[in-house]
Amino acid sequence: MPTKKGRTPETSEAPEEVSAVSGNGKEESAKVKTNEPLLHLIVFKLGAEFYGIKIEQVKEVTVTPTITRMPRTPDFVKGVANIRGDIIAIMDLEERFGIRPDTSTSTNNSSYTLVIEAREYSIGVVVKEVPQSLNLTVSKMDKTPSFLQDIAVQENYIEGIAKVDNRLIIVLDMYKILSGDEIKQLSN
Amino acid sequence: MKSREQEYKEIFIAEALEYFDALNRHISDLEKRPQDDQILAEIFRFLHNLKANAKAIGYLKISDVSHKLETAFSLIRNKELSFSDEVVTVLFEGIDLLGELIHNIDNESYGEPDPVLLRNLDIIVDNLSDSTIELAKVQRYNTSKNLSLSELVYIQIKKLDHLLNLVGELVIDRDRIVSISRELGNDELKSVSSHLNRITEDLQYSIMDARLVSIGSLFNKFPRIVRDIATAEKKSVDLTMSGHDIQIDRNILQIITDSLLHLVRNAITHGIEKPENRLKKNKSQNGNLSLIARNDRENVLIQLSDDGKGIDLNQVRKAIVERQLLPAGAVEHLSDTEALSYLFEPGFSLAKEVTEFSGRGVGLDVVKNAVDSIGGRIRIESEKGKGTSFILQLPTSIAVKGALLFEVDEIFYAIPLIHTEQVVALDTDDLHEVGGVMVADIFGETITVVYLHELLNVKEQEINLGDKTRLKGLVQNIIIVSYNNRKLGLIVDKLYRQQDIVVKPLSKPLDAVDLYGGVTLLGSGKVCLVLDVPAVTRYFISRRQVLAGEQTN
Repeated sequence: MPTKKGRTPETSEAPEEVSAVSGNGKEESAKVKTNEPLLHLIVFKLGAEFYGIKIEQVKEVTVTPTITRMPRTPDFVKGVANIRGDIIAIMDLEERFGIRPDTSTSTNNSSYTLVIEAREYSIGVVVKEVPQSLNLTVSKMDKTPSFLQDIAVQENYIEGIAKVDNRLIIVLDMYKILSGDEIKQLSN
Repeated sequence: MKSREQEYKEIFIAEALEYFDALNRHISDLEKRPQDDQILAEIFRFLHNLKANAKAIGYLKISDVSHKLETAFSLIRNKELSFSDEVVTVLFEGIDLLGELIHNIDNESYGEPDPVLLRNLDIIVDNLSDSTIELAKVQRYNTSKNLSLSELVYIQIKKLDHLLNLVGELVIDRDRIVSISRELGNDELKSVSSHLNRITEDLQYSIMDARLVSIGSLFNKFPRIVRDIATAEKKSVDLTMSGHDIQIDRNILQIITDSLLHLVRNAITHGIEKPENRLKKNKSQNGNLSLIARNDRENVLIQLSDDGKGIDLNQVRKAIVERQLLPAGAVEHLSDTEALSYLFEPGFSLAKEVTEFSGRGVGLDVVKNAVDSIGGRIRIESEKGKGTSFILQLPTSIAVKGALLFEVDEIFYAIPLIHTEQVVALDTDDLHEVGGVMVADIFGETITVVYLHELLNVKEQEINLGDKTRLKGLVQNIIIVSYNNRKLGLIVDKLYRQQDIVVKPLSKPLDAVDLYGGVTLLGSGKVCLVLDVPAVTRYFISRRQVLAGEQTN
């Protein structure tokens, strides 16, 4: 079933594990409600790690539509797809960041596409498992560790790292995913 | 096709004849009601337009006579000349003369206008009080006049839209009939359907052509607008324009009219500095504004540039933070181009004060939306202290485009018919490997042929353009395309029909990929890539050069 979502995805479908987490978050936010803003993330898996995107940047989540390959574009461009009459580029972030695909999970064919609304355009991002929704307080997110910023000045698309229940969630800034270098690479 | 000048001339004549008819009607009315200021104003307006149009296109005799008449009527309006019998006769004759001049624009043997009549006009204009000078009688021979109707009709754009839609439907049915007739193999049906084919095409292009207007029709409004805004802002601005003749769909021009006006206002109020400030910065006292239109591939580019103070990127970055669009830390990492793109955010304005002409909260986002709505693009280039340019890239036509559909490696492609020469099927044996590429003799012409699958899908390091063993099957479908007078055969896996498609431009970031001019949706909902023939040709040439380089090394 396509989980078509607007700007407020339903949290009901999220597995218990995550619900528990957001429960914690709620408790915590109750305490500090007045001065601590909440962060609402869509969480998904790339390789063996969890990644998150701020919900403001996610336009919708849908079952991946038919993708038409576009020859002579970089490998991380899976192609283009027709999503409700809009033709948008579909990206594979595992390819983009050079993340080893997780071999432990069974290769089931159903995949999902997050439609990301960047400033000037929309792109689709394919993920293998159902993305989940998660609330946490801003203090749970650390800014990017400094060494990460140092070695990859061009690649500071990692906005921070959130720690929730001993789980690390790498928060991506989608606005920076495709900038400068990638566009140059596209126009080869 | 008629030359543009011929077309302008025809439009001028048709309009001039309309003015002439209207003048005749109004002056007859005026004779009956000499006190009616409204009629006088109308006459004035017609003469003025006629004078301006005639002068612009170079018919000086017409503009001269119009000018004399205009002066006479202005005297009448100011009550310095009475609309008396004598004067009326001269004015009637003057208007008749105008008609004669218009009718004889192409008549070389017409000669000069009657000098007596011209002198009479001068007399009533120059010698107001002196009634002693007799108005000479003018000999009139052509008492019986020919009646003629205007060559020009005005048509509502709505009707043209409707026609275009109808043609779109007709084209689809036409395609169906053509394919049925091919299946049935009936000669008579075939000849009818091919005739239908040609006529539909002609019709389609005629309607598209009827919708085209020259950009000059919009540009010509700007000198006055620029002057008014500059005066209100106490600035002096020199406007240069080029590309008046570039043709574009009327609706597209309509949609960007407000945007362009907005950008021009911005450039003068916020871009160009006051004269005293310009002098301090070693700039010419007058600001320069240029408005340039030109064709680019199938698009029209309109560039508006000023040599004003440019956009202060630090200020933009500060505004981004102030409006909480990005946290302060993130703004520093924005590239200049990215920072400039925030100017298109709703409500984003650097203007500190509201003036009569700018800064009323209508921002660049409105401009961007207008350009987006017609599938165009806009970008900003700016250098602090040097000036700012806005570049609008617009489609020439919103109409459909003929294309040939085919398949390579299970992907659907289309090539606009404008680039295709012919389609042939050749035995693989008829292809020859020469100098690292394949060639074929096609109707007596040796043409380089390339396997599109090899060019597009094989890893760049492994491409071999001259190996025919890589081809599948015994017969090859080849689409011959031409670019810059050079022909290239493209071998495709499966060839489908010709079809009229609506090309959607690729959205960012894929618009940076040259190879594709856009995408289109097929009836099945499948996405079909539209190949850009110039880019494919360039890519083929560059690959060939790389391969040739490797061989010599």
